Amino acid sequence: MQNCLRGTTFVVAKAALVAALWLGVMPTVGQAQAYKAPRTADGKPDLNGIWEALNTANWDIQDHAARMGPMVALGAAFSVPAGLGVVEGNEIPYLPAAVAKKKENSEHWLTADPEIKCYLPGVPRATYMPYPFQIFQTPQYILMAYEFAGASRTIYMNSNQKSPNDTWMGWSVGHWDGDTLVVDVTSFNDQTWFDRAGNFHSDALHVVERYTPISPDALDYEVTIEDQKVFSRPWKMRMPLYRRLEKNAQLLEYKCVEFAEELMYGPLRKQSSK
Amino acid sequence: MSHRFLASMSALPVVIAIALLAPVRAAGQVQSAAEATPTVKTWTVPRTPDGQPDLQGIWSNGTLTPLERPRELAGKQFFTEQEAAEYEKRVLEHNNADRRDNQDAEADVALAYNNFWYDRGTKIVPTRRTSLIVDPPDGRIPPLTPEAHKREAARAEARHGRGAADSWEDRNLGERCLTRGAPKLPGGYNNNFLILQGPGYVAILQEMIHEVRVIPLDGRPHVPQNIRQWLGDSRGHWEGNTLVVDTTDFRDEIRSNAFNCCGGAGANLHLVERFTRVDNDTINYQYTVDDPTTFTRPWTVAVPLTKTPGPIYEYACHEGNYGMVGILSGARAEEKAAEEAAKTGPR
Repeated sequence: MQNCLRGTTFVVAKAALVAALWLGVMPTVGQAQAYKAPRTADGKPDLNGIWEALNTANWDIQDHAARMGPMVALGAAFSVPAGLGVVEGNEIPYLPAAVAKKKENSEHWLTADPEIKCYLPGVPRATYMPYPFQIFQTPQYILMAYEFAGASRTIYMNSNQKSPNDTWMGWSVGHWDGDTLVVDVTSFNDQTWFDRAGNFHSDALHVVERYTPISPDALDYEVTIEDQKVFSRPWKMRMPLYRRLEKNAQLLEYKCVEFAEELMYGPLRKQSSK
Repeated sequence: MSHRFLASMSALPVVIAIALLAPVRAAGQVQSAAEATPTVKTWTVPRTPDGQPDLQGIWSNGTLTPLERPRELAGKQFFTEQEAAEYEKRVLEHNNADRRDNQDAEADVALAYNNFWYDRGTKIVPTRRTSLIVDPPDGRIPPLTPEAHKREAARAEARHGRGAADSWEDRNLGERCLTRGAPKLPGGYNNNFLILQGPGYVAILQEMIHEVRVIPLDGRPHVPQNIRQWLGDSRGHWEGNTLVVDTTDFRDEIRSNAFNCCGGAGANLHLVERFTRVDNDTINYQYTVDDPTTFTRPWTVAVPLTKTPGPIYEYACHEGNYGMVGILSGARAEEKAAEEAAKTGPR
């Protein structure tokens, strides 16, 4: 297998396909892996690199058909692409009281979605927004730097430290479970969403992420969402993350505050000035 | 109050301070950080598994030393130990936001953040230099070029007639939560940095506004010049035990960043930084600002990074920027009040 992988991209693609099929039939995650990832100096799978999701989960984490976008003038260029959902079973187990809130969010997306104001996107949304992010992995800390909004978060490995406060990106503590990086994220505020469809959570959100290499250029990303104030049971999302293979790939700035200021502060501008 | 500060100052690692000070020359020419540092016999630079000098961890650049040498200290490059202690005491008393010696409202507003929120550090730099600027020898940002004077005059002209808060664009980049610039100078709080070294990269997380600087070490060229960034575009390489980071492609608007590293430099800024780990708890850090369209000569800043236990916290600046709404609303309310007053006419 390893020898084959050294060959053409075709072979790599085929291997990825095999890996994907394999993932589909495996009953549980985190068992013996067919793929053995390259190691860092401390013997852990090497997750360093620039990664990006390739799906439409930021539009809607559930199954959705294509539809007209919010601005007539933008026509086909910025309408909503169809997508198969990333939610296991496609069902999000909202408590009855939360169903109305989700609907309201969805209807008022343009004014209510924190993405539009360039707010820190939270976790897991930061992972599957249509921008790359970079992982810097060391035994003690793992830094994830996201292109969107210049967001970042530090994962403290095997730490007992607690967050003193609620946060947008959560408080991340990591450990290795075999070849899987497991990140336990808590101390969220209730301000971030999961997508533009208005899927939301409260400050009781608890996220467990599992990053598992499945090929040289892909990770399996599985997220468990738990929030007793909003959901009747824990639920999962799952998707591959792909390595950005361009030789010159690098995170560029998308410091979007300046793109949201007119929207946020425009009415407070002095009338005669432009 | 001052007892508390004095107590913490007595904990100054005086021996280390003297050891670091000894080889530093008063001459204006900048020495490389490595040359300026004595070799400590019992200490060798730790290395990452792939053999790079290890700069990793959480560091603080908090210091009481000002960027520029105060005018009243002209000609004095270094404090004596005694002078340093007195200076620190004076600055700490001046900065103490818990002070309520003046009961008028204006003073109270100026001290709105009490001392709990500040984390400037309690000491000047171990060299006891009187400015962070080590070159030119007068410790001051060099004079502007004639071109820069003309540009500044044109900018002032363009601003003529505008109020302080006609729009958010009249406020600086820090208030707008756009950027605090790179490198981030020591300030009132959040002077912390997480440095990580991956294969082919160094990453520096600046706690202030969670800005991450990604520095490739693979020798790739800078991004094309039409891609301008608030933090520029950085490339790094090792010279001996020193990480040298070369940054260009800045946006010209960094000029209007009150918290900027580089004193009014703009799109033509060429920044060179040098990181040298000199003991377990210290990285000697220097940067040189070269913008020939703005300054008559390059200038260099040295500010040590000191190991700090961390952790790094999230600083969600834009998300909590009620200040901007307050500033703009306040300005509009004042205008409206002035209008009303004009209508009513003088009584």
